[in-house]
Amino acid sequence: MTGHAMGRTQAAATLAAALLVALPASAQVDLGTEEQRAAGKVVYDKYCGQCHGDTGDGNGYATPRVRPKPRDFTTGKYKFRTTPNGMLPTDDDLRRIIEIGAPYTSMPGWPNLTSAEIQNVIYYIKSFSPDFENPDRYAEPIEIPRPLESTEESIARGRVLYEEQACGACHGEVGRGDGASAPTLVNDKGDPIRAADLTQRWTYRGGPTKEDIYRTFSTGLNGTPMPSYADSLEVEDRQHLVNYVYSLGDGDDPNYGTLITAVYSDEPIDLQDGESLDALFESAPMTRFPLVGQITEPGRNFFPPVTSIEAQAVYNRDEIAFRVRWHDLRADTSGRNNPSLEVPMWDEDNGIGGDESDDGGDSDDFFGDFGGEEAPAEDDFFGDSGDDFFGDGGDDFFGTADAGAGGAEFSDAVALQFPASLAPAESPELKPYFLYGDAQNPVDLWFVNLTYGVADTFRGRGSDAIEPTEADIVEAVTSYDQGAWTVTYKRRRSSRAGVSFAEEQYTPVAFSVWDGFNRERGNKRALSSWFYVYTEPSVEQAVAGPVLRAALIVLAIELLVVFLVRRRARQQAAGEGTSGASLTATEAPAV
Amino acid sequence: MWGLNLPVVLALAAIGGVLAWRRANTLVWLLYTLGALWAFFRFGFAVPIPQSVATIYLGITGLALVCYASSSRERLAETVQPIKRLILEPRYRLALAGLLVALPALAAYNVYADLTVPLEAPGFGREVHPPPPTEMTVHDETIDMATAENPYLHYKHDDPELYAKHLENGRRVYYENCFWCHGDGMGGDGMFAHGLNPVPSNFNDVGTLPILQSSFVQWRIAKGAPGLPASGTPWDSAMPAWEKFLTNEEMWDVNLFIYDFNGYEPRALGQH
Ligand code: HEC
Ligand code: HEC
Ligand code: HEC
Repeated sequence: MTGHAMGRTQAAATLAAALLVALPASAQVDLGTEEQRAAGKVVYDKYCGQCHGDTGDGNGYATPRVRPKPRDFTTGKYKFRTTPNGMLPTDDDLRRIIEIGAPYTSMPGWPNLTSAEIQNVIYYIKSFSPDFENPDRYAEPIEIPRPLESTEESIARGRVLYEEQACGACHGEVGRGDGASAPTLVNDKGDPIRAADLTQRWTYRGGPTKEDIYRTFSTGLNGTPMPSYADSLEVEDRQHLVNYVYSLGDGDDPNYGTLITAVYSDEPIDLQDGESLDALFESAPMTRFPLVGQITEPGRNFFPPVTSIEAQAVYNRDEIAFRVRWHDLRADTSGRNNPSLEVPMWDEDNGIGGDESDDGGDSDDFFGDFGGEEAPAEDDFFGDSGDDFFGDGGDDFFGTADAGAGGAEFSDAVALQFPASLAPAESPELKPYFLYGDAQNPVDLWFVNLTYGVADTFRGRGSDAIEPTEADIVEAVTSYDQGAWTVTYKRRRSSRAGVSFAEEQYTPVAFSVWDGFNRERGNKRALSSWFYVYTEPSVEQAVAGPVLRAALIVLAIELLVVFLVRRRARQQAAGEGTSGASLTATEAPAV
Repeated sequence: MWGLNLPVVLALAAIGGVLAWRRANTLVWLLYTLGALWAFFRFGFAVPIPQSVATIYLGITGLALVCYASSSRERLAETVQPIKRLILEPRYRLALAGLLVALPALAAYNVYADLTVPLEAPGFGREVHPPPPTEMTVHDETIDMATAENPYLHYKHDDPELYAKHLENGRRVYYENCFWCHGDGMGGDGMFAHGLNPVPSNFNDVGTLPILQSSFVQWRIAKGAPGLPASGTPWDSAMPAWEKFLTNEEMWDVNLFIYDFNGYEPRALGQH
């Protein structure tokens, strides 16, 4: 595209705009000057082309390995707009996303670009699509009213609307992104797309505020199944709906922590008695930990759908129990899984059903040798032997959970990871390699394949050296409820071969989660770095005693000083004339 | 400026000014010195200095002040005078009573705050740039760490076109493999960085690439975290050993690219 041609079309467009007098000033075609677009190209080529493609077609180097994929600027379709459904975004809309990015996607914010640089890159981006020359595609931004207060009535009204409008069909009844049609959703390009988990507001790509939410479902996200409700809902109803969606959220911030505090209880820990178990965990603080894709060892997972896990722990005299919870769009409980299932190289890029063959060229030259391998048989690897074991016991947990849609080849799974032994006193920083341990320092995995719902234990000495162990018996119960998996583990506190949980001990712990729907298995998983479990002392540390003692000691010193000074003064008054300066040596520092 | 919290520093100086103007006596000056120092350590820096270090400084200063106050009889008498008056003169009775209550309360609060600090996971330091081995072998090629240089760097002057080719290949490698951790703009802030500890290196930082030889960077790329000595806590770092995924040329190319993107040159050989 030459700047010259551009200039001419621009002139034509401006003319057209001038003829369509109705068009308000703010919606006029503004494609910048040739210099501005040229300056924008420089910025784009350095910072944007590797994802959005050097020609703006969304096919950059990173594209096969990110999801959602970078926007294809040649289509003129934009998600995050203040303009009505199907229209082009305003420059301010584009500026907003470039400045702050879309959280939990590969689209980062670019706070270091100057305002002028951003404006120039916006002009350059617009030049990729002829739509920006067409005045018919422009429209005034919608008006975003001030949010209503989140009263109970407003939220209740919003809830009714949420049900009437069937938001739950995609987002799930309580908003965990687990609606019945969630597994089937694809975007305009046929790539799988997930309905947002409305309970995790910090992951909203278009922003977490009430105004953002209002904008999202008023204007819709073009190119995705997320529709616009501008026509079907009155302004006020939309405001109530905002309040309901907002009320589903777990806060603005994930508040990621680094420590599970295991609390002591006198009660027995009975995994089969759900109610008493829930009551036990009620008293234990819950910590949320970030999960990221495993991209260090072969079998990489570039776009894990699960981005965090919550965990808590309780213990009694003999046993310790852990409970973890995470969100998953459906329970995959029919496939296989285990920590060492092989992941062929070609499967690193592709998620389920992703029609990414057209992207193949980009990455395949890279892994050329592996491209030919066929998938199926070799996955068996570790085998059924480990799993079959428990075949019957666990199944009834799930009777109804399997949401169908064919069922995935791989099942959902979770693992807790502990070092096989604690660090020696002389080097407390020592830990096993956080990716399944290493030869010198192995780890123990408490692995639950959610097809069976029982815990298998593995010892890891590195990603290619994982073996089942039976040194300790770990029990587990699992449940899937409206998009949330909950797995509760129990083991004796003392172990014959692994780590024992003594009181007041910091024990390293790490997590792995597999989403069968995303074809995760083996190394292809979401994982965490090392964090810690602290077993809180069983007898509560008294605070009153030491506090009182400190106060009394200080008071006693004060009184002593006052007493001494006064006595000396009296003596002095009595025996006039003796030297007065020597009395203070002991007293001065005390005050 | 120098990581100082200017408003705090200015406020402390202002208080000192007022004291000088009112010709405060020695005791007030001593108390001011200790108090101001404490406030300076606690609030005066953008990144507060560790409690334990501050305590040591304060202890030393306290000792010095005691020495100063007791350096002559007159000074000692002058210093203690206000205390004696507070204790002895009837008109200060109320103030004395207040002090008798306030100090124990302060001590009690301190102990309480100490006992109820929220628990924290233990943290350990690590050596960010530990000494590399003297030589390393990658894909059957052995390089001497002291003398090896990026074999494509000289194209920058000798053959710009070829140089550009290597750079472009490095760009491909980076955006197919590295940006999740090190970030799109190489600020160490990729989309997975928040879940990693230690955090991925920030290549924009003048304290990273420019102070390293390209052979060091190549070592880190090829051998990753598992190649680190124990002082670098290899068990915590997610930095992959790229020899598992990339050819030697690809690794030198991405090495070239991360320098070029940030406008840095590797530290020259033999320069310390
Ligand atoms: C590492 C990859 C990556 C880089 C680098 C990148 N982007 Fe993006 N960008 C994305 C992805 C992925 C999306 C889609 C996000 C989504 O769909 O939620 C996106 C979306 C966008 C959108 C569309 C938002 C919408 O409303 O649909 C704009 C505009 C954009 N990027 C501009 C830029 C600019 C300008 C740069 C360079 C300064 C840049 N991007 C660099 C990955 C990237
Ligand atoms: C046909 C399926 C579908 C229906 C029905 C639907 N959504 Fe969505 N929604 C989606 C998808 C898919 C996304 C994620 C789009 C993306 O990530 O780009 C989404 C995203 C969202 C987001 C977050 C956007 C962001 O910033 O990440 C909100 C808020 C939302 N929807 C609210 C609603 C509400 C409220 C309703 C009902 C009035 C609703 N949705 C109905 C599919 C749907
Ligand atoms: C999974 C995350 C991850 C990926 C992917 C990753 N790195 Fe790293 N990298 C790290 C972390 C974490 C560190 C800092 C800890 C350390 O020194 O090991 C690091 C450190 C480095 C260092 C050492 C810098 C210094 O100051 O010593 C270099 C060089 C480096 N990475 C280059 C790369 C290159 C090149 C790629 C892509 C081919 C890459 N990294 C991919 C996580 C990653």
